[in-house]
Amino acid sequence: MAKGETPIVKRSLYSWVFAGNVGLQLLLLLIIVVMVFTRVLPLEMQKRIVNEAINLRKIDLLLSYCGIYLAAVVLANGLKYLNSMVTTVITQRATANMRKGLYHYILTLPLSFFRNTQPGMVVNSLVNELTLPANFVGMAVAAPVSNVLTLLAFAGYLFRLNPLLAAVSLSIYPIVVFLVPMLQKGVNRANKKRVDTARTLSSAIAESISGIHEIQGNGAYGIEHRKFDGLADKLEKIRVIWSLYRFGVKTMNNFFTGLGPFIVFILGGFLTIKGQLELGALVAFLSAQEKLYDPWRELIEFYQVYQDGVVNYNRTMEYFNVEPEHALEPQGRPPFELDGSVEVKDLQFETSSGIRLLDGINLSLKPGEHLALVGFSGSGKSTLALCIGQLYKYTDGHVLIGDKEVAELSKKDMVINIGFVSQSPFIFEGTLEENLLYSCKAMIDGQGQPVNNHLPTLDDIIAVLHQTGIFVDVLRFGLNTILARDEHEDLVEVLTRVRRNFQRDYGEELADYVEFFDENKYLYYSSVAENLTFGASAKEAFNNSNLAKNEYFLNFLDRADLTRPLLSLGAALSKQTVDILGNLTPDAVFFEQSPITADELDDYKLIVEHQKRQKLHQLTGTDRQRLLELALRFTPGIHKMAALPQMLETLILEGRALFREKISADDPGAFSFYQLAEYIYSQTILNNIFFGKTKTASPQTQEKIDQSIVQLLIEEDLLETIIEIGMRYDVGTKGDKLSGGQRQKLAIARAFLKAPRILIMDEATSALDNKSQARIQNLLETRWKNKSTLIAVVHRLDTIKNFDRVAVMKAGKIAEMGTYNELIAQKGMLYELVGKK
Amino acid sequence: MNSSEKNDATAPCEFMDNLNLLRQTYFFSSFPLETLKVIAYLCAREKFKKGLALFNQNEDDGQAFLVIDGKARLEREDDGKMTVIRECHAGEFLGGLTLLGGRHRLFSLIAVEDTTCLIIHREKFTKAIKQFPDIMPKILKAVVDNISTWEERFLTERAEECGGCLEKLGVSLV
Repeated sequence: MAKGETPIVKRSLYSWVFAGNVGLQLLLLLIIVVMVFTRVLPLEMQKRIVNEAINLRKIDLLLSYCGIYLAAVVLANGLKYLNSMVTTVITQRATANMRKGLYHYILTLPLSFFRNTQPGMVVNSLVNELTLPANFVGMAVAAPVSNVLTLLAFAGYLFRLNPLLAAVSLSIYPIVVFLVPMLQKGVNRANKKRVDTARTLSSAIAESISGIHEIQGNGAYGIEHRKFDGLADKLEKIRVIWSLYRFGVKTMNNFFTGLGPFIVFILGGFLTIKGQLELGALVAFLSAQEKLYDPWRELIEFYQVYQDGVVNYNRTMEYFNVEPEHALEPQGRPPFELDGSVEVKDLQFETSSGIRLLDGINLSLKPGEHLALVGFSGSGKSTLALCIGQLYKYTDGHVLIGDKEVAELSKKDMVINIGFVSQSPFIFEGTLEENLLYSCKAMIDGQGQPVNNHLPTLDDIIAVLHQTGIFVDVLRFGLNTILARDEHEDLVEVLTRVRRNFQRDYGEELADYVEFFDENKYLYYSSVAENLTFGASAKEAFNNSNLAKNEYFLNFLDRADLTRPLLSLGAALSKQTVDILGNLTPDAVFFEQSPITADELDDYKLIVEHQKRQKLHQLTGTDRQRLLELALRFTPGIHKMAALPQMLETLILEGRALFREKISADDPGAFSFYQLAEYIYSQTILNNIFFGKTKTASPQTQEKIDQSIVQLLIEEDLLETIIEIGMRYDVGTKGDKLSGGQRQKLAIARAFLKAPRILIMDEATSALDNKSQARIQNLLETRWKNKSTLIAVVHRLDTIKNFDRVAVMKAGKIAEMGTYNELIAQKGMLYELVGKK
Repeated sequence: MNSSEKNDATAPCEFMDNLNLLRQTYFFSSFPLETLKVIAYLCAREKFKKGLALFNQNEDDGQAFLVIDGKARLEREDDGKMTVIRECHAGEFLGGLTLLGGRHRLFSLIAVEDTTCLIIHREKFTKAIKQFPDIMPKILKAVVDNISTWEERFLTERAEECGGCLEKLGVSLV
């Protein structure tokens, strides 16, 4: 939002009509004027064809009038199309601009606003509610002008033909203009009632479904029937009334416009018989009369869009009409670079309902000092941190950062000087790197400098990854990446070499945790497909995901007697997985041990439904293919919802040999079979180093493996490369592919990378294990003390000993403050708290 | 009825075994089958070689353990002095509270012989529980019952041996 502009929520709907659209709207007007002319022209031609060409039997006149008629019709339709095009552009532009404007505005609203607002409400407002208002914007000039002009033109033409007849036949319209709004009021009234009753009905349904146990247990069908039927009947009545009103508008409109020809016939016929009106004029009059109907109908429609649009627009904007608490940008000056001192004087914070969460807080920190805020939940420590960070607007008193009042600083000033790590940090969909650089990019954003020049270097990033302890996680993501062919040729070469060193140096030590690729053994941590092919395909058609539809492979399965048992394995897998996961809200965690991915779940639900009615052999080809696909993915070591029958295991091992033989003969080069000297493109980097797969996910084993691998990668100078690959890891929606600890470490790394003068950490290490927590504490003490001011809300008291200051909060006040040792010696509240822990 | 309840299509599998094990555990006993299936699915079996730690004192590993097979020793170190608390055998469930919230361990658990455990991680557990909002009160009740029963039994059976420690009792009053 630029300075001095009216906030979007205060703009009227009409202001959108010309905003940024002046050119297009003028173009529309021009189109309309020509279009109206081309609409009237055929009428005149009609008259002349009858009166002049036909009456006087002149072929040449007939041809030229018909020519003009045809040209006018073509032009009128062409222009109509052009008209719709421009209108659409204006409508869509208005929709997009309204959405963007409102979205930008909503993001700046105070946090308190969002506590009472459902995300669904915001989504609905942005996605649905603005459509009708935008439709109105698109039509606002075109519809009234073109239709009124057309009406006037036709009316003028009618008057020219015969003023008396015109006056009488047009006298109908004022009656309609008078009656329509009256009926429309009824429509609106009924519509509002309909919406309300429909809502009540929905919540009644929701209630009875969630209470179905009680209903069935009590056999209370009668009671529930009566409740629901009452509402359904009420809705029925309202809907009938609503529809009657709507049809009333339509019918009345139709009736009156339908009266037009009647009047023309009776009066015009009389005049023509009397010789006061030519026959041609009568025909033209009838045509014109009929053509009045379309623009008139469009006008009525426009009127309805206008009514609904205004209602929707005002309701939406009123809902979001809340003032942002702080300006986004500083006015007429560059953002302040503050010195990191914090001064809090008589600070108060009251909720809108008058509850005092902070009361008379006083404290002062020199630049670089570290303060721990402790106390029970609800004592106000987070609130204080949020007030200092400008996320809450304090209601009285002062917070000064570098001698500037926080309430008067812009967001930009804060962003440049403050870093914030919250208790449950939010991670956005995208790569790890994007999330890591989120704060840095946001800080640089909008300063008119190219963002990339000011971003931290890879070395900076790696240093922070180490400091925050997320390094190993990133390394693991890197190691779990499947490299694309031709992309990292050098790396691939080195990795194949590393594999030998690994086997030599660590093979024995890790043998318990790794299932090595062995041609003569069934691999429980590899899929059925991998067990069968025991190699990586060089052809798209033989990729694991395509095998179930590969004709050659399907024939092979038949020959190896595998089709039938695999299908029934697929059936078992699909049934069990759908049974377990079918009703859960999709989350990456639930699908880690599932052969069905989150996206496929709905498809497989259907296939499971089909299986209830049909035997396996009766299923359609597609269903069978999907089941086969599932069976081929089955990895007994991971997917525990089904077992691998011994018989099938033997068949697959036999199949492996058969497949190798067959494909080597039929299509040599289609597969490269697993062998020590070759990189396997279908496997992750780690599996390539192992020449096998890890068997367990236990943290203890993981750590052991990590240590060996890091050692190995350092020796081979590969660490940085793998980290770079790992940073491209996609963290999933809301970062759901990361653990709570990883998310928190990522958030801390994000703040550290920005290296702010003041760092606010709100229980920022609560999800970390002891080691990680200690590492971060240590880092704060050694690298950040005397450089950055730290305000940390702390839950675990074992970490606060070395803070410069500890403030114990109780009921919104600072109960005691001093160094850790001072407070413990006082035997006051901190002493109590520490004792209890 | 759900297919798993008349499971004729599948051979016996680990998931089914896990489900049956969990059903016999106090912490999960009040769970409806629907929820328990998800928990059983999210569990993992892990084998600990003799001498390995299942968890360590002062660390928050965030896992609950159901001993399936083998034996492990619960011990605590205080100022360098190691005290063996007791031995845990097959069928024992440790760590229900760990699933509910993160605290560092007061004990270590060391495998005395090769030990297999069913492990559920707090993070997975929490996500699963969120899907079934009605379940939390039931878990809390199971935990409260368990703590109260423990203290009641201690008071009736052991109070006399306790001597001076009596005044420290009252866990169930927390």
